[in-house]
Amino acid sequence: MTKPIKGRTGMIEFRGVNKWFGTLNVLKDITLSVEPREVVVVCGPSGSGKSTLIRCINGLETIRDGDLVVDGQRLADPATNMTRLRTEIGFVFQSFNLYPHKTALENVTLAPIHVRKIPRAEAEKAGRELLAKVGLADKVNAYPAQLSGGQQQRVAIARCLGMRPKIMLFDEPTSALDPEMISEVLDVMVAVAEEGMTMMVVTHEMGFARKVAQRVVFMDAGAIVESGTPDEFFSHPKTDRSRAFLSKILRH
Amino acid sequence: MLENFSLRTIVEYLPLFGQGLVTTVWLSVLSFAGALAVGIVLAAMNLQRGWLFRVPAKAYIDAVRATPLLAQLYFLYFGLPRLGIILPELVVGILALSLNSGAYVAEIIRAGILSIPRGQVEAGVASGMTYVQRMRLVILPQAFKVTIPPLLGQAIVLVKDSALLSLIAVAELTRAGQLLASDRFMPAEGFITIAAFYLLLYYGLKGLAALSGRWLGLAGART
Repeated sequence: MTKPIKGRTGMIEFRGVNKWFGTLNVLKDITLSVEPREVVVVCGPSGSGKSTLIRCINGLETIRDGDLVVDGQRLADPATNMTRLRTEIGFVFQSFNLYPHKTALENVTLAPIHVRKIPRAEAEKAGRELLAKVGLADKVNAYPAQLSGGQQQRVAIARCLGMRPKIMLFDEPTSALDPEMISEVLDVMVAVAEEGMTMMVVTHEMGFARKVAQRVVFMDAGAIVESGTPDEFFSHPKTDRSRAFLSKILRH
Repeated sequence: MLENFSLRTIVEYLPLFGQGLVTTVWLSVLSFAGALAVGIVLAAMNLQRGWLFRVPAKAYIDAVRATPLLAQLYFLYFGLPRLGIILPELVVGILALSLNSGAYVAEIIRAGILSIPRGQVEAGVASGMTYVQRMRLVILPQAFKVTIPPLLGQAIVLVKDSALLSLIAVAELTRAGQLLASDRFMPAEGFITIAAFYLLLYYGLKGLAALSGRWLGLAGART
């Protein structure tokens, strides 16, 4: 059953990936390679499959056919230990999904202690440093309900970093935030990108894309329609669909 | 009826009521512990995706909820001896209450677990937790807080249901009232007294529920 992977692969490699929800073809023949340390921004209209695309990478969604290789491991291969692979992939949710019964620090240390088996004292030291890094040194003992949306999302990013992942995936990380909180989250994401993290970010924040992304991928109706550098994509979109999309998000 | 209400007889019978009350309390405690055990197992079975565990659990819960507790009690009381299993009345009674209440507890626990947002499961999955780790560290601690008030409600129901054990000659609180009623032909004295004791137990549990509610409210679990 184990099929060898042909050729060299990127950190994340989609090869002819298809996915259906019932009869709806939500991912159509996706081929995409993300190199180590690369930052790729995925954008497109709602329902275009961008969230589904990144949720496939850590197996929150499964694919019907095609190959998806992450960190050298084929997800479809029964020998691939998904639980293990997920420890290498941080995932930041639109709605944060912090553990409400745990403090900020406990949110950050829970998986390192129980999944990575890092000694508690060491995990807590690292957790405090990470919370300081995202600007929340004074919120270590706060519960999520006591934090603003922007603060919660920064804790969520610290929670991912606590696992020392090779890849970070962001699923519309600023879409649920009040406008004045967006930049504090984007600043943290820029810092993570500048440290050389491999990232895929579903977002419409063009400022972020221009600043750190090497590539923008535009999706529509489950397919990748266009991909290029942020400059190419935002200044000279090649397809009618991407022009129509950009005119809508730029107008406001 | 009440013009010759005899407080003196009630006082005379107080030791019997006291013993009945004590028996009701500890058999309720044991039964509720049993109900929790049954309920946890049933809820776990009912939450499985495969039918192998889910279908029997659902059938059991439906059967218990659709039939009277009295019928279930007699089913065990008269049925077990025919299978060659002879148990003291008290044990049969505790067994019946545990098995009955367990079905309701199972639904409370299941509802508590299902009330935890899907995103909590996904956060656990995404950070590489196994099913058991997710349950232990993320889902159950949150579900536990949601289920305490309805569980205490179920405990109150169980205490009242335990009155049925008087019918299989378990010397609990209601039995004490029956004895007074039949020995002295004083049903009013007998049953008003036990009603007062049940009310006492009810307020005890209700106070516990209120305390737990306040404690849970302070524990910072709100989102």
